Amino acid sequence: MIRVLAVIALLVGLLIVFGAGTSSPRADLVVYNGNDVSTLDPQRLSWIPDMRIARLVYEPLVQHDVLDWDARIVPAAAESWRVSEDGRTYTFAIRDDARWSNGEPVTSEQFRYAWRRGMLPDLASDYAAMFRFIEGADAFYEWRVDQLGMMERGESAYADGRALWDATLAKFDELVALRAPDARTLVVTLREPVPFFLDLCAFAVFCPVYPPLVDQYERVDAASGRLVRRPGWTRPPAIVSNGPFEVTDWQFKRTLRLDQNPHYWNRGALHVRSIEVPSIGDPSAAILAFRTGSIDLCAEVFAPYRGEIVQDKLEFLAEHADRVAELRAQGLDPFAIDARLPDDPRKDAHVVPAFGTYFWNFNCSDRLTDGRPNPFADSRVRRAFALVIDKKSISEQVRRMGEPTTGVLIPPGSIGGYTGPRGLPNIGDAGTEAERDAIVSRARTLLADAGYPEPERDFPITVELVFNKDSGHDLIAQVIAKNWQQHLGVPVALAQKELKVYREELKNHAFITSRAGWFGDFADPTTFLDIMRTGNGNNDRNFSSDAYDALLDRARTEADTGERMALLAEAERVLVEEELPMVPIFHYVSMYMFDPDRITGMSAQARTKQNLFLIDVLGDGVGAEQPRPMKRRDPARSERAG
Amino acid sequence: MTWLILRRLAQLPLILLVIYTVTLTLAWSIPGNPLENPEGRRPSPEVAEQMLRQYDLDSFPRFYVSYLDRVTGLRALRERMSGDAASRERAAAEAGIEIPSPPLFDFGPSLQYDDWTVNEIIAGSLPVSITLGGVAIVIATLIGVTAGVVGAIRPNSIADLATLLIALVGISLPSFVIGTVLLLVFAVWLPLFPVADWGTARSLVLPALTLSLPFAAYIARLTRFGMIEAMQSDYVRTARAKGAGETRVLLKHALPNAFLPVLSYLGPATAFAMTGSFVVEKVFNIPGMGQHFVAAVQNKDLFLIMGVVLVFAGMLVIFNLIVDVLYRFVDPRIA
Repeated sequence: MIRVLAVIALLVGLLIVFGAGTSSPRADLVVYNGNDVSTLDPQRLSWIPDMRIARLVYEPLVQHDVLDWDARIVPAAAESWRVSEDGRTYTFAIRDDARWSNGEPVTSEQFRYAWRRGMLPDLASDYAAMFRFIEGADAFYEWRVDQLGMMERGESAYADGRALWDATLAKFDELVALRAPDARTLVVTLREPVPFFLDLCAFAVFCPVYPPLVDQYERVDAASGRLVRRPGWTRPPAIVSNGPFEVTDWQFKRTLRLDQNPHYWNRGALHVRSIEVPSIGDPSAAILAFRTGSIDLCAEVFAPYRGEIVQDKLEFLAEHADRVAELRAQGLDPFAIDARLPDDPRKDAHVVPAFGTYFWNFNCSDRLTDGRPNPFADSRVRRAFALVIDKKSISEQVRRMGEPTTGVLIPPGSIGGYTGPRGLPNIGDAGTEAERDAIVSRARTLLADAGYPEPERDFPITVELVFNKDSGHDLIAQVIAKNWQQHLGVPVALAQKELKVYREELKNHAFITSRAGWFGDFADPTTFLDIMRTGNGNNDRNFSSDAYDALLDRARTEADTGERMALLAEAERVLVEEELPMVPIFHYVSMYMFDPDRITGMSAQARTKQNLFLIDVLGDGVGAEQPRPMKRRDPARSERAG
Repeated sequence: MTWLILRRLAQLPLILLVIYTVTLTLAWSIPGNPLENPEGRRPSPEVAEQMLRQYDLDSFPRFYVSYLDRVTGLRALRERMSGDAASRERAAAEAGIEIPSPPLFDFGPSLQYDDWTVNEIIAGSLPVSITLGGVAIVIATLIGVTAGVVGAIRPNSIADLATLLIALVGISLPSFVIGTVLLLVFAVWLPLFPVADWGTARSLVLPALTLSLPFAAYIARLTRFGMIEAMQSDYVRTARAKGAGETRVLLKHALPNAFLPVLSYLGPATAFAMTGSFVVEKVFNIPGMGQHFVAAVQNKDLFLIMGVVLVFAGMLVIFNLIVDVLYRFVDPRIA
């Protein structure tokens, strides 16, 4: 008996010795990144936390100066670029000191290799569509899809998958207008002038990969001809990257550690030596870890009580309202303002505008999936339902995150040179009871015009509100359902779904109304407007308007920037004032936790892409030890985004 | 004995095949596309189709066969024999890149965590779970047996009632309550142990204790009833008549017999403690296996689901086998 126990105890003792390693010394900067990184393969990126880390590890041709209020484009791996007269051809000059983490030079051919990966259907990049602005990319993509299909059906002209692969490489050279005349020059021709093309080039999906490495992990399947990927090259010790930092340790669900890339050309601009990204499953534990000092920066805040944290911060700012107004008038960014206010733990919470919008979808199909006619096919019905949503209650009482309510899709002021429409009012805007009644009666008139003078009795369907069960969408759905029931008298039903089920129903247009949201990818209105286009893969609403599509088409060929923006603004006006395939409710904010007296180099720009390599931890004796605020801006503009 | 072990080991693949079939059928029926980021851009239909085909996710029979081929090691063997693997290694060596050779039993790539294979994920988290579960079971056995013996010496005494009460609490209180209370008291108020950390012996104490309590409670009850019965048996009376001391009677004569039910419970309990620690992992932020059971299903990460289920099933069978073998040492009557 005792012997048995002793044996077990011995085994366990051994296991402890194996299981218990020593932790490496604390990094200069410890960041909570929300969800765990799922991939660091640039062309496979999809999640925001992945991209935040990818921007540390890889360097694209150009990047955004995130400490500038317009986030203008600045050189990165390319030291300069030229745009042709017709706006279609870009010639990039790659800097000659751009190096991979193994010391090899970064070449234009490697960019070509990476972009080709992004275009291949085999890789199934979520952002493959972004490469399709390049001339020939579409044709190449479709050729490859066709050939793979023929290979599968046994109709291929090629002997086997490898022969097809060789032909694919030749086809790429032939079709796609992406050339590398020498090791440092990359020439790309677009199918049409794309005013935001540099913005795309700054996107993490356009980062280069190191071909000798990737080649070893991707092979062509002889039977199907498809490129088969094997994971592993994005992790140490294999990974080779060209960004300011390199991954030196990555343990699944434990930690990811980054150290300065010893060969990075601009190491002088880095102010921390190492960054650690621990894996923390519980969002509340992340806040606890921040409060106890083991985390310096929470790049995401998901804790269920985050609304309370934001309210505390707003209270703190209200206590110092005069000083805040004075500092804001000097054009300071919100973090620099916080740093000048008295010490208080409440000031560690930060909320800045984000490049995204929360909205509520209407299914615009003529018929519902069960064959019944869909009353929401009529834009008057959609408008009526939009008018009576109390957006103010949703933002102030449910979310409590300080998110601005909205009547438009594109966050105002987020894209330089673009001024969007105003959008429809809603009952939350009404100052008085009379104004509120006026909006409600306007909605009821619209319903009557659409053929439902007494919606209590003659509205043909129960209005279902579909949402996924996480993140408090249920509370928002309850407010909206109550608004519709109370003001329009229609029967409503809440339908909570698992995330995957919710996602499938949206894709198949198998819903009546649903929760939704969208974040823009680049600084152009089309990053939002395209998802409402007829047949777009993300057009969950099944919305189709010839007038709207025509406006987008005209904008596509319009050479004059001002005219183009005016056309896009008109398209957005059609969307949010007339057609309402969805009701915009509020614009998202990004929330961070960090001590503004200690952490500097964070961006408050509305398209908030944090470049964590800009951060300096003040007081640690590493780096310049100087506050790095955003550039001062015109105080007249600071009102809105502050 | 050898025969028993051989027979059980021969049964193992059959059991695993049944589990494989049932689990895959259930996991396949989870709605949604496992390759799609539910918060990202939706790929075009032809890309979505390509993605599914790449992993044989477009057809159940094809996936069933190809995954079986992969997981049983047949595919790796074929590749090794055909020389494919060798030529790839040569190419890698020429490029100056070290590339680990693919494992024999290949559980496939993770669909959710693109940069990891299921083998790597399990290799990283299984030792964690084994350590945590193993320590918890040892603690549970020590606490449980001690409490059971103490209770059985004087049934219905204060000490006995106290142990029964604690055992009741241990069984009925969920571990997220116990864990959170322990964390609050011993990590936040009295900072004796770390809040969310893994890798040091100190960080193991609170989670192992939390995990052990329900098992300890059950073991205490099993031991107590077994001991009370044994203490009234003839051989204990004989031992006493021979003049054996009370300690000797308890530990040498009564306990080995009272321990038999505990031992048969320990087999599955150990497997459960090693893989079923999801809640404890969550509370203490431990990178173990338990989380995958839940997260993999939510993400419909088919390869990961199959990987963890097969590993768990294998462990369950093997632990039961170990218990059967140990049984013979403790109770030679079982032939």
